[in-house]
Amino acid sequence: MEYLLHILAISGIYIVLTLSLNLIVGFTGLPALGHAAFSCIGAYTSSLLALNCGMSPWFGLIIGACVAALSGIIIGYPAVRIKGDYLALATFGLGIIIYSIAKNWISLTRGPLGLPGIPGFSIFNFQLSSILAYLLLVLAFVWITIVVMNRIVNSPFGRILRSIREDEIASETLGKNTTKHKLLVFIIGAFFAGIAGSLYAHYITFIDPSSFTVTESITILLMVIFGGMGSISGSIVGAVVLVVLPELLRFLGMPSSIAAPMRQMIYGLLLVILMLKRPQGIMGVYRFK
Amino acid sequence: MILQFIVNGIISGSIYGLISIGFTLIYRTIKFFHFAHGVVYTVGAYFAYTLLILLNFHFIPSFILSVTFTSFLGISIEKLVYTPLRRKNASNLILLLASFGVFIFLQNLIQLIYGAQILTIKTGPIKEGHHFLGAVITDIQIIILVVSIILMILLWLFIQQTKLGKAMRAVADDPMAANVIGINPEKIILTSFAIGSALAGAAGILISFETNIEPTMGFNALLKGIIASIIGGIGSIPGAVLGGFFLGLVENLGIWKISAGWKDSIAFGILIIFLLIRPWGILGVKTEKETI
Repeated sequence: MEYLLHILAISGIYIVLTLSLNLIVGFTGLPALGHAAFSCIGAYTSSLLALNCGMSPWFGLIIGACVAALSGIIIGYPAVRIKGDYLALATFGLGIIIYSIAKNWISLTRGPLGLPGIPGFSIFNFQLSSILAYLLLVLAFVWITIVVMNRIVNSPFGRILRSIREDEIASETLGKNTTKHKLLVFIIGAFFAGIAGSLYAHYITFIDPSSFTVTESITILLMVIFGGMGSISGSIVGAVVLVVLPELLRFLGMPSSIAAPMRQMIYGLLLVILMLKRPQGIMGVYRFK
Repeated sequence: MILQFIVNGIISGSIYGLISIGFTLIYRTIKFFHFAHGVVYTVGAYFAYTLLILLNFHFIPSFILSVTFTSFLGISIEKLVYTPLRRKNASNLILLLASFGVFIFLQNLIQLIYGAQILTIKTGPIKEGHHFLGAVITDIQIIILVVSIILMILLWLFIQQTKLGKAMRAVADDPMAANVIGINPEKIILTSFAIGSALAGAAGILISFETNIEPTMGFNALLKGIIASIIGGIGSIPGAVLGGFFLGLVENLGIWKISAGWKDSIAFGILIIFLLIRPWGILGVKTEKETI
């Protein structure tokens, strides 16, 4: 039972990540391959504030998300000026740079040793120690994210995003500042990824750079594509299915030295099959141009 | 001291150059980022390990067999994944993501077979290197440099002098016109994959004598190869060589001045600067298409 709740909590965190990446990739059509970098920044900011300054995880979460959003400006600024394949490559590179900062700035992040003993969330001195309580907290954030994303994509702002996706030059001709909109999308996406990172850090109570590699970014992107590009319900399905699916390998009695590469092999194969058969995903409305 | 870093830079530059030429050769005909190129390099190293250590083959036959194997691997990836995608008129990004999928799949397949740990190809006792103007260079490093330069020259002669090489250049310049005068583009694409993957395999084998091998080694090598091709001027073969050596030198000077941990950040920093200021690279020509 605990195990099931744990899987659900992890799925919830991935839903937040997938939704925030879908805003960038699926709704605006920007191929971003470095999403784990934003959750890395959120996770490290809020963990370091909790460990070094004794700050409550609640504030840490908000500050972490804001710092991630700020990094969204820094990363997005060069990225939105580059198009197509090159944007994919640039975001990929920026993801690697953030990862190697986490790994090499040893005086701050302890490098590959990671940060142990991150405190969990508490409400009025009541520690959220049971997994069920934590799951409810995660679900609350999932709900907030879904509501916000729904509002964004159904607003006039969301329509501009879709117009950028379909035909950027046409929306420029209509007087829309596409660079500004693309940057804003990066900031919003980074903000929610920061929340997810912080939720993860305070749940697992340990983080190290290996949780935020480029492969992780690709996994999140795979969830977006699998569920459906530009579909909110698709992102939820994509995240849950791709978190649960590899867990089934454990039930087949595989040791983790086999299960870990197997999981990645499934992801790799799934990515190839999706691209061959259905590049817009299960519920998607858009495929990369 | 600086001379030692320059020597190291040239050695790693020659490996980057080999990967980058293979990558460029493929990019010229198919015009998308073939990410699975990195895992072809890893397969080269592991195949050589299997032949040399597990089956006790000699160096020359295992080199030739491994290079042939990687060449076939490249062709199979093209046949099984890219050809069906191209028939469906898939966009570059879809092809890029599919090649990523191939990369992840094969890398983890290697990990499943050989395990995640580091393996070494031990070739005799460790000898002290030669002293050369205050820098130390080992026998293996000399072999790496010489073999890479020979391969680069052979490739250059092939592209410039042979009929097939001319056809490859024609397809790279204008696939439509090449098709009109009777060059079969499919054949040229397969040739590029065969040669490009063979070069990646050769680079993987060469590096496995110098350092340890591990399943994730291809990732970094691929990134360096791509960065080298972009800063050299994407699609230009001399550019790829130049980019490789340039990247190797800058990286090693960075290690000297800053620290080894920041090697990848330096490489990507250079890439992002190039993408923003001079996306067509050092030797590339600014065209409508490559203005980004």
